[in-house]
Amino acid sequence: MTQVARPTPERLDAFTLPSKPGNERLALARVAGTVQGRGLSDASLERLKTAVAEATMNAIEHGNGNRAEIPVEVEVTRSGDDITVAISDQGGETHPGGETHPGHGDHEEPDLLKKLDGDQSPRGWGLFLIRNMVDAMDVTTDGQRHTIWLTMRTTGAAHDEHV
Amino acid sequence: MTSMCEATTRVLPGAAVIELAGEVDGSAAGVLTAAYERAVTASADSADLGTVVLDFAAVDYINSTGIALIVSVLARARAERRKVVASGLSAHYREIFDITRLSDFIELFPDLDRAVSQLGTA
Repeated sequence: MTQVARPTPERLDAFTLPSKPGNERLALARVAGTVQGRGLSDASLERLKTAVAEATMNAIEHGNGNRAEIPVEVEVTRSGDDITVAISDQGGETHPGGETHPGHGDHEEPDLLKKLDGDQSPRGWGLFLIRNMVDAMDVTTDGQRHTIWLTMRTTGAAHDEHV
Repeated sequence: MTSMCEATTRVLPGAAVIELAGEVDGSAAGVLTAAYERAVTASADSADLGTVVLDFAAVDYINSTGIALIVSVLARARAERRKVVASGLSAHYREIFDITRLSDFIELFPDLDRAVSQLGTA
């Protein structure tokens, strides 16, 4: 297999937020401002905003248990044509009900008909939305640190605007 | 939690319209439920209780919990044999209605006028 050299990721922004419900809107707005004009289409930007809001909400609620003193960490990087947003909490491997943890919690593919028939909770759309909004998603755990990686592919056309 | 969602309900012949504004998230549960109750109560004297129109033209944010609230409204309406349609969704939220399959059960209209006129309630 041919090895392709990957460019070193360029950090575009990094910030933390207290784990308070509603702060996902702050993450959404700041990430949107950071990536604006960097080659994402309007539709892709809207998708990324939704994914960032959902992932941050999960980190606040499931990862850090709504404990404001434990920050959610957000980092935005660009590597080649990819923009990646990494959202980290301290939920480790054992998120209670952690949707962003494959294999943990009450992760079940949402089925609208089951929900309408009362056979599944109306909730449980978070991870489903994230997966369907981004071009790639990954989840890593290092000790207590749990990170979800959201990647969007840009058109490349506007890369140099902010260099 | 303080709700950033507002709902106005009005009844037209054959349909009740719930005009939503602001953010449809977890904090909107009470607002949406109350609006649905008002819509159902206000249209109780109508000969045709068939349709509830959810207008999202003034909504700027819907999250997964908001989707769950819409699912709950749809489930209740289906149990009561009412039709639910939606209007005024942005392209992004129309996409979300598509991928969640909400649009299989909720007919989408570009705006409230077209929803009302095509429902024959103008």
